[in-house]
Formats: sequence, C-alpha cells, structure tokens
Amino acid sequence: MKPKIGIFGLSGCWGEQIAILNCEDQLLDIIGAVDIVDFLGGSSVNDAESRLLVSFVEGSVANAREEAKIRQIRERSDLVVACGSCACFGGVSAMDAPFERPKVIETVYGSNGPIKSWDIGPHRPLSDFVKVDLAIPGCPMETTEFVRAVSALLNGDMPLMPTYPVCLECKMKENECLLVQRGLPCAGPVTMAGCDARCPSHNIACIGCRGPVEEANMASIEQIFGDKELPKEQIKLKLRVFAAPVLDRTEERG
Amino acid sequence: MTRTISVDHLARVEGHGGITVVLEGNEVKKVDYNIFEGIRLFEGLVRGRAVEDVTQICSRICAICSHGHSITSLQALENALGITVTPQTRKLRDLAYQGANIESHSLHVFVLALPDLMGHPSAISLAAVAPDAVKLALRLKKLGNTVQEVLGGRAIHPVNYVIGGFGKVPTTDQLLSLKEQLKEGLEDCKRALDVLLTVPIPDFVNEPIRCAALAPEDEAFFFGNTIEILDGTTRKRIPVSDYRTFTNEHLVAHSHAKRSLFEGRSYMVGALARLTLNGDRIQGLARQVMEALKLKFPCANIVMNNIAQVVELVYSVEHALDLIQELFEAGYAAETPVPYEVKACAGAAATEVPRGTLFYSYEIDSKGLIAGADVITPTAQNFNNVEDQMRATVTQGLGAGASDDTIAQRLQIVARAYDPCISCSVHLVRV
Repeated sequence: MKPKIGIFGLSGCWGEQIAILNCEDQLLDIIGAVDIVDFLGGSSVNDAESRLLVSFVEGSVANAREEAKIRQIRERSDLVVACGSCACFGGVSAMDAPFERPKVIETVYGSNGPIKSWDIGPHRPLSDFVKVDLAIPGCPMETTEFVRAVSALLNGDMPLMPTYPVCLECKMKENECLLVQRGLPCAGPVTMAGCDARCPSHNIACIGCRGPVEEANMASIEQIFGDKELPKEQIKLKLRVFAAPVLDRTEERG
Repeated sequence: MTRTISVDHLARVEGHGGITVVLEGNEVKKVDYNIFEGIRLFEGLVRGRAVEDVTQICSRICAICSHGHSITSLQALENALGITVTPQTRKLRDLAYQGANIESHSLHVFVLALPDLMGHPSAISLAAVAPDAVKLALRLKKLGNTVQEVLGGRAIHPVNYVIGGFGKVPTTDQLLSLKEQLKEGLEDCKRALDVLLTVPIPDFVNEPIRCAALAPEDEAFFFGNTIEILDGTTRKRIPVSDYRTFTNEHLVAHSHAKRSLFEGRSYMVGALARLTLNGDRIQGLARQVMEALKLKFPCANIVMNNIAQVVELVYSVEHALDLIQELFEAGYAAETPVPYEVKACAGAAATEVPRGTLFYSYEIDSKGLIAGADVITPTAQNFNNVEDQMRATVTQGLGAGASDDTIAQRLQIVARAYDPCISCSVHLVRV
C-alpha cells in the first residue's frame, strides 16, 4: 500500500500549495508514489481521519480554528513538515508593523461593526503549537527542496537543509557583491541559502525570505546597514519582514 | 419550515471559504458566501515602509496572482512618482502577464474546475483515467511558469520587478528559448481544444451577468486607464484614478473580505467580463477556440467563465509570441530601471490579472515612506456577484425540482467558476 500523505493550508497566500502543483515534471511520479488522501486545495473528496505518514503544512496559525487544525494534523501524522516561511517563522503577516497591531487592524477594517465578533490573533509559526519534524523555508519554498524532501522522507531519511548563508551561493555564481561593491542593503549574509541566490543574481538585494541562517549575526548586519546611512527604524523593518517572531526569540535568548 | 443548504469548506479553491443558504420552503431567505481566511492586514503593515520595499511585500498577498500584484503595485508607485517606463519595459511586463494568464488559467481550468465537469473529485483521480489530458494541462501550466520565471526571476513572488523597470532584463537567448516553447504550447492549445470539445458544460443557471473590465488603450489587452461597465447595452466609463467611486467597498459580518457594489448592484470581473467587453479583439486560434466552444455574448451562464479562460489561455500564448517578435523588431537591448526621486505624492493603477481587475493606490510622504495604501482584488469585487448567481442557482434549481444535494453541488461549481482567490481578498481597504 502506498504511504498516505496530506497537504494542508492555514493562513497565507497559498504559495506552497501552488509550489507543489508547480512541480509539473514530477507531479505524476509523486502521485504514483504516495496516496494524497487529504488535500482540500486539490480535491473535493478527502479523508480527514486516517493516519498519515507525512503532512505538508503551509501558512501561519492566525485563529483558534487554525490552532485546532494544526493540533489535529499533528495527532494523525508521523511527520509534520512546515512548508514555507509563514509555517516556519510566521511569515509576512507576522512582520513588524511600524504601528501597533490594534492600530493596524483599525486602519484596515475600522473600529466598529463586524470586526468586533472576529477571532483575530497574531500570525504564528507552527512550532509555537506543535512539534515540527522538518522545516522547508522560503517565500515560497523552492520546488526542488520539496521534491528532495518527498524523496528523502519516503525513504525513511531526512533531507539535508543548508546551514550556510545566501552569500555562499552568490559567491559560487560569481555575482558582484551588492552589499560591499554596490553598497545596497543585502540580507544575504544572514539568510539561509537554498534559493541559488535568486535576488542578487538579478541585481536585487536579498530581503531574507528564507529566514535567518544558523547563528545569524543580526547585530552586525544592522550595523553594516547603518553605515549605509539607512535610518535605524527602516533597518529593523527591512530585516524583519519574514521571520520577526523567530528573531524576537533569538534576541531574548541572547 | 426553515432549512439550510451549506458547504462547510469549499474544496479546490485558493483560500478558506464556505457557503450557507437559508430556505423557507422554496423561498431563499439568505445566501452567505462566508470567508474565514485569517485576516492578513497588508495595507496596514506596509504603512511607514520605504517605496522600494513595498512591492515585494504586497506580492505576498497572493501566490498565484503575485506577478499581477507586483506589477500593479509598481505602476501605482510609478504613477505617483511621475515616472514613465520605456516601451520595452511595457512590452516585457505585458509578456509577464501572458505567462501569468497561461499558468493561472491552465491551473484553474484543468486542475480545479475540469474535475467537476468530468465527474471527478480531483485532477489526481482524473489522471488515472485521462492521463494525457492531465499531462497536457501540466505542460501548459509549466509553459506559463517558464514565462513568469524568465521575466520575474521566480514563478511565485517574482524578484526581478522594480520601480522603473527590471533588476535584470531577460537575455536574447532566454527570449528565443521562450519563443520555441510557446510555439510548442500552441500545439498543446489545439490538443486542449480537442479535450474540451468532449466535455459537457453545465447550464443549470441562466442569470444575466453585469460585466466590468479595463478598456484597453492599445494592443495591450490587460492594461488601461479607464474602467468600463456594461449595463445592458450601455457602456459606462470611469477613470482608474476615480476607482473608489466604482468599487464602493463595504464590510459584511460573514466575511473577512470587503465587498463591492456599483450603483447599488453587483458586477463581475474576470475572463468572461473581459471577453464580453473586448472579445472583438480576439483573433487567430483563440477566435477559432471561442467559436468551437460556443462562447457567445452576452452570456448568462457563469460556468462559461471556464471557457472564457480557455480562450484567453490560447490568446495569451499567441500574444506572447507576437510580443517577443515585436521586442526583437524594436531592437531589444539591456536597460536599467528609470531613476526616480522620492517626494510627497499619490497615485493609482489598475491592471487585468487572471481573475479580473486589480486596483492599487498609494500615498507617499516626503521621505519616500508609504503613508497610505489601498488594494482591491478581483475576488473581493466578485463576492456580491457570486452571491447573486448562487441565489439564482438555488431558485432556478428548486424551480426545476433539484434536490438539496444537487443544489449544494451546483453552488460549488458556481463558486469555482469565478476562480476565487480568497487569500487575495482578505485585507482590502482604504487607509
């Protein structure tokens, strides 16, 4: 019998479900190797009960309904894989706002009317609620990393994730350094590799969509950006678009 | 006696939504399209951020429309800052839109909607009985992604679009390779027509659809500065800069997404609306497909939006080929982005993305920080129209003696026909 897997989306842009569907060359092989029994985004008939070998979950947890959902997914799954930066770190919806969150909500929806009855919590990563066995970051996750993960997990293995920064991949491509040579605020030194330095290869500074690399020295990168005459509050905002909740915790631990 | 027909959680749509219909006998008391996607507050979060950072953030509103969000955001910023991009950039952006349209429409028609029409729960089960159709769909989808990848640097959440142009324009070799792939894509379009000719299109609902789309100013079908809405045979025109008098957003309790009404009534945006207003522009193979699949206007069967998407998919492959040709004829060369200086300013823009008209506007302060942002997505504009079509579906279904289960099934087909993107819709508002 083929192993059963599930694909789930919490709050987000659907980017990882689209990324999975974007594995056009491998999709039919994947369907041949596993039984996708629970995938609301792709099927109108789903089995919400049976035991799953792997659950791939995208999106952040933003309300009680989603908290219950991720706990239920954990309970029925041998392995839970957080797909994309929302699931891994909270993502863009959890980014630092220049204003307090209640003010942001009021800005968008007003202070009166239906908004009062809505359950609206902050967006949080899956690991705030359940054990996550594998995190595939990225906004969106790279399709190649997803395919590699499926292949490893089906063979009882864990895929190796990069422990080095985007800079390393960028150097291997012999790109001109945007941070040093062009003086642009590039987050490559503190961001986990795996994207083949997509942004710098297009002359665009890395914005950190794959989250912090192991032992990222945030204080140092803030200082380097500061030397480029960027206002302090803009530096914080720039570096905390994709992984603010996780960076906060690292800061607290010192 | 009161009873309810409900769909708790819609399958095969992007995002989280459900349907509740309350009936008293055969009288429809209430039709609610419930949207319970977690709210994402983008317009609030981007305030105070630098103009050069905001587009990459707004791209994250939606994965499947990310190229449309990025480019519409940039056009609003460029309009505000008072800069004009080069004709080459305009054509390259148009090319990116064709890629997005090919990808999005092939995903929706073949993976999300076709299973309904062929009696399957999913494309996965469809693949077991019609593997060639699914492979064909995946090839077309990949073609759209390749175009997006070449232009935007990534299929989802492009990295290469900046104020004034591109980080790095595609190389001539990349465009030549695209051209070859698009030519093969045209052959796949013909095969797709053969598949679709065998598929019956449901016609359980007959309810006039009020259509709106941007009026194209040149050959670029998806770009324009004027909104047109068709009321009977009258075309009303509103400049994009006045779009708020068109969208008229308001909140309802059962939805985290805002709603739109024009002159107190709902309207539809998307492929069917575009073709209803501007279908006379469609020539070539796309025209043949339109005739072969019997798409005629005005159309009162919302399910035909799927067919309108097929016609546009073919149009996009043909138009992409034309664009590459025109780029070369005009002397294609590497360009750097048009420079700009920040100042206190404001601007709006709209484009036609796969699901319909997308509006963006920004206010910028003298330091180049965002002071206000407004995003109105096609799906949000369509919600009221979906409810109107659902009401007609229930009334007409009950009138013809359909069971509640059949009606629930039809309601899902109607919801999916709009190709809703709920992720997109949950954060729209003026700040």
